[in-house]
Amino acid sequence: MSTLKLTNLSKRFGGVVASEDVNIEVPAGKIIGLIGPNGAGKTTIINMITGMLAVSGGEIHVGDIDITHAPAHEICRAGLARTFQNIRLLGEATVLENVMIGFHRHETSATLAAMLGLPSAGRETVEIKERAQVMLKEFDLQDFADYPATGLSYGHQRKVEMARAMAAEPNFVLLDEPIAGMNNVESDALAEVFQRLASAGKGVLLIEHNVRFVAKMCSYVYVLDGGRLISQGTPDHVLSDPAVISAYLGDQQYA
Amino acid sequence: MNNFIAGYLPLFDIYLIHLGLAFSQYIVLRAGVFSLATAAFAGIGAYTAGIFAVSLGLHPAIGLLAGTLTGMGAAIVLSIPLARLQGVYQAIATVAFIQICLSLNIYAEGLTGGAMGLNNIPKTIGTGTLFVFAALATYLIWAIERGRLGRAFNTIRQDEAVAASLGISITRHQMLAFAISGALAGLFGGLEAYHSYALDPNQFGFHLLITTLSYVILGGRNSVVGPLVGAAILIILPELARPLAENRMVIYGIMLIVVINYLPKGIADTAIDAVRARRLKNGGDGS
Amino acid sequence: MLVQQLLNGLVVSGVYALFSLGFTLVFGIQRILNLAHGAIFMTGAMVSYYVVKSGMPLWLGFILAIIASGLLSVLVEIICFRRLRKTGDEEFGGIISSIGAGLVIMTIAQQVSGTQVLRFPFETFPVVIFKFWGLRVSMLQFFMAGAAIVMVLLLGYYVYKTAFGRRIRAVTDNEAAAMLMGINPNFVYSQTYFIAGALAGAAGVLVGLAFNSITFLMGEPYLMFAFAIIILGGLGSIPGALLASLVFGMVQTLTIAYLPSGLTDTIIFSSLFLILLFRPHGILGKEDAGLLRGRR
Repeated sequence: MSTLKLTNLSKRFGGVVASEDVNIEVPAGKIIGLIGPNGAGKTTIINMITGMLAVSGGEIHVGDIDITHAPAHEICRAGLARTFQNIRLLGEATVLENVMIGFHRHETSATLAAMLGLPSAGRETVEIKERAQVMLKEFDLQDFADYPATGLSYGHQRKVEMARAMAAEPNFVLLDEPIAGMNNVESDALAEVFQRLASAGKGVLLIEHNVRFVAKMCSYVYVLDGGRLISQGTPDHVLSDPAVISAYLGDQQYA
Repeated sequence: MNNFIAGYLPLFDIYLIHLGLAFSQYIVLRAGVFSLATAAFAGIGAYTAGIFAVSLGLHPAIGLLAGTLTGMGAAIVLSIPLARLQGVYQAIATVAFIQICLSLNIYAEGLTGGAMGLNNIPKTIGTGTLFVFAALATYLIWAIERGRLGRAFNTIRQDEAVAASLGISITRHQMLAFAISGALAGLFGGLEAYHSYALDPNQFGFHLLITTLSYVILGGRNSVVGPLVGAAILIILPELARPLAENRMVIYGIMLIVVINYLPKGIADTAIDAVRARRLKNGGDGS
Repeated sequence: MLVQQLLNGLVVSGVYALFSLGFTLVFGIQRILNLAHGAIFMTGAMVSYYVVKSGMPLWLGFILAIIASGLLSVLVEIICFRRLRKTGDEEFGGIISSIGAGLVIMTIAQQVSGTQVLRFPFETFPVVIFKFWGLRVSMLQFFMAGAAIVMVLLLGYYVYKTAFGRRIRAVTDNEAAAMLMGINPNFVYSQTYFIAGALAGAAGVLVGLAFNSITFLMGEPYLMFAFAIIILGGLGSIPGALLASLVFGMVQTLTIAYLPSGLTDTIIFSSLFLILLFRPHGILGKEDAGLLRGRR
């Protein structure tokens, strides 16, 4: 069982400090929350973890593996998957095709075989198709398999994105505002999915605005403001921390 | 009847050769690389094959292999700097590359015959051979489409960030797409050399760029059928009516404007999408 | 003699500047690489030729050429690009569409000119040569340089000092916001395309006079050259285009004068390639303009 560990992580854009000295630990099997007001730097953190943004200082480890400077496509192989704030599904592909791509990490056929359409590559495609369909079933999306992915409702698109991320069989999942724009019914359905991930032994880093949701799901919460951690602890502790309250609501007294 | 067919064979030959070039252009665009360099790779392959036959007297098979390899090699070399550029800049770089190749070709008179071109290439390739190669190229593209590479290319093209987050190496895949493109262009350039007695440097300039691009734009950039249809229409249509042939460039021009504005996916792809959508609708009603 | 070549180079740079400014202006506001720009340049030359051929004075031909090229440029914008901006496909689609427009314009010009090389009647522009300090400069060269300088200054004034210039910058920055402030973006764009076309047309007339050879294909080499110029100067940067025109104008003139022929093109395009390799945003372009987003 390993841990995703951010140590003294910093990011500077020229003179602007986007993140500074961020220390976060995501153990396997736990759901860890990362909250903070808009612009606090939450997505910056995820982008650094996934290699889309260069790290200015500090380190990121998955277990013993140092992924601080690993290129983006190798992060997946280190066992990390992420979802995007604005649901990036492939607009020209069907739902099934979108999930099939998630299995890329597991495809082992030789490049030449894939190019020439040799039977080994063909079998792999069939196998991936089946696994994708199984995945869709898990998320109750099997009826939509052949529909263009962007034609689905928002809630369903979210599920497709999750299915795609799960296809890579990650050990850690980074969720970037997964329930934004959903009503309680939809978000409760997703909550179940997240619980299943944790029970399966995956570490989940949940970035969310919805404080109630975070309080319900997470065993430990980190609070970011202006790029720095201003509080951390159990949900109860964090939500009654005056530093957190003033970060979210300003210094007004809130009845 | 025989005369009728024989009259159209040269046309079919042109179609087969240009089909290969269309596929070369197709595969790079598929992987999200905005490269227009197919004409240059074709020229490199053609002249290599031609020189192998004329100056070295080697068997056409060797010449073809050489052409394919040089085309592929040039593409791989080009892909390295191009990987760091995006969109428009990639396009400009590839156009610059075509110009460089063109002017080097004319300058290196001793090797290539310069502006006079390379002449007296023995014609060793006939329609049958062309057909075999064209069929192989079609199969190759189709196999790539259906498999792992096609899916990876597709993903990279539509959303690089997603591709990377799923473990797809963008540089490796784009370099591969380039290599395939260069190999195809080099091969079919070589076939052109062994099919037409002579080569002229201007054959492989802006004009070829436009025609190759047109096949893919008109036919479709998203399925194997696209280049097949696009090349067929653009090569055969002018033969159906004299006025069309005479005004070929105007028609190409208008076609490019109209298609990219109103039918951006190309004829074949739009049709395929429509069929698929109808099938979904009917399937939904049925179940 | 070196100074002579430098002078020649200056004049050449002036013409390149006129051509490239419009090219880079359009890219700067819409991220569209208008490959029909060469054909528009050629149209300017042709219009001036036919005006003069029909007996009217050169200055009238010059003015009509500028207006015609400007209008043609606007026409191209409306027919070829407007719809693409709505669907968001301008970068790729714009190139394709403009190639198409160029083909159409050139074919029409080919038909009209009967695929002949057109030459101005003798003495259309008075042939007067000034000799001083061992140098030879023709009146035409003075005129070309002068015209280029005047037009560039006018452009600079228009873009940087007037309300129109502010509107261009507003629309380029944020089209929706500009609309909310009462600016009509389409009108601004059309004006910009007109200016771009007019400058190119002017360049066309000057080149037509200088080489006294007008063909339907004359714009293409200039288009290729303009690629190199606007990349060196930075896509979308007006001062950059000016600077780069100077550099490339000089380089071309000097290499033609001192190096074996045929090497010029190779040098120019290899330079372009190298620039793209090491500094795609050119001298004055924005950092990261040419590089892929989200990469290290």
